[in-house]
Amino acid sequence: MKHKILEIINEIRESNSLPTLDFITEENRLREDLGLTSFDLAELTVRIEDETDIDIFDDGLITTVGQIYQKLNI
Amino acid sequence: MALFLKDSTGEYSYDNLLTSINGSDGYCQNLQTDSLYSFFLNLIVALVHNRPATLLDSDLSLEEISIIDESTINKRDKIDNKVFNSIEEVINEIWKSSSKITIFTSGTTGQPKNVVHTIETLSRNVKKHTGHTNDIWGFAFNPTHMAGLQVFFQALSNLNPIINLFEESREKIFGLITSNNITHISATPTFYRLLLPIEMSFPTVKRISFGGEKSDRKLYDKICGMFPMAKVTNIYASTEAGTLFSSKGDCFVIPESISDKIKVDDDELLIHQSLLGISDNFIIEKEYYHSGDLIEWVDEKNGVFRFKSRKNELINVGGYKVNPHETEEAISNLPGVQQVIVYHKENSVIGNVLCADIVKNPNTEISTIEIKKILKQKLQDFKVPRVINFVNSLSITRTGKVKRK
Repeated sequence: MKHKILEIINEIRESNSLPTLDFITEENRLREDLGLTSFDLAELTVRIEDETDIDIFDDGLITTVGQIYQKLNI
Repeated sequence: MALFLKDSTGEYSYDNLLTSINGSDGYCQNLQTDSLYSFFLNLIVALVHNRPATLLDSDLSLEEISIIDESTINKRDKIDNKVFNSIEEVINEIWKSSSKITIFTSGTTGQPKNVVHTIETLSRNVKKHTGHTNDIWGFAFNPTHMAGLQVFFQALSNLNPIINLFEESREKIFGLITSNNITHISATPTFYRLLLPIEMSFPTVKRISFGGEKSDRKLYDKICGMFPMAKVTNIYASTEAGTLFSSKGDCFVIPESISDKIKVDDDELLIHQSLLGISDNFIIEKEYYHSGDLIEWVDEKNGVFRFKSRKNELINVGGYKVNPHETEEAISNLPGVQQVIVYHKENSVIGNVLCADIVKNPNTEISTIEIKKILKQKLQDFKVPRVINFVNSLSITRTGKVKRK
């Protein structure tokens, strides 16, 4: 699943004409470090929800990759 | 001298602003800029010289607004130099301005439509009195949109500082609210949603306004916790009519001053034409404009109501209204696309996320990433579907129309 999240983030970055990443770390911040906008965060939630049925943002904002892993228990 | 504007590019005082206004020997009728200071300065110069101006988003492409001739964008027109002795003189001149200010709205068909406003419709709800002297505004809207203009005129007329929070990160916004002692914030529910979860509270903030999309009770309660000293209100402002109603809680009150100009027909809110800007695109029936907003009365006698939904198909994505037909048109023009339908899915971050189902020609090799990349060059970011599915066929309704989900 962690690999899938990297894949989704890379697809979002690619459509924004940003270079793809070889890896992400738990400390990476979604906005500042990975360059995701609020529209990108919305896409990320929908794509993760499609895979897992979990809305990672349902009770507030997630700011780091580690928080996504926590929310998904992975 | 008092601060006028602070953003990531620097700080500008009202003195700097006055010097820039007095030094202006030209302005752009169709300015497209990333700089908030240049945008506001150009608008003020247009107003005090009674010249027309069209407010363009910095990321709007010409394909989206064919009524504007490309050669006129950022073309500087010469104007006679006018010298003002104080910023108060400038503000007085702005209120007397006969400028026609054009803004764009998502039309119900095709491309964005232009609406022409005067200073009167743009500043209808601006309150100027000594009680507002110490207000400090967090600016959280796109400056070309009606709600952003309301904040701008409110702050300017009381000589309040404007701190730009628009599209900043959550940490940066928290830092800016605290370090600048921001007292007033007006923003979309999406903006507030991105401030959650509550990790700290901001007692300097006295007023919080929601506008631009339907808010939910859960968010409202959380925001009250984050800004414990703030009075929280909702504002109904539209590109067509400016600010009309504001209220406490999730209800709106029709002010007495305009109560004879608002009607409700078949649950739809109708606005008298005298309250509107001017546009060839408005359809007026018996002097009233059909807003497309469906409401329910909470207390009809006292003009208290709540919004239910929208009658037309515009989709609210993070406070921006998207016309699905415009996005569909852009996608249909891509090579190898046979059929497309654009729809929305509810989303916890931005209210709704835009989706598209596409039927490709069998021999076409185009990926969803490529489609998004091409669309981003043709459309503003919020109009680009974030979820794209390739499907074999679209569901058709019994009337033969493609079914919107």
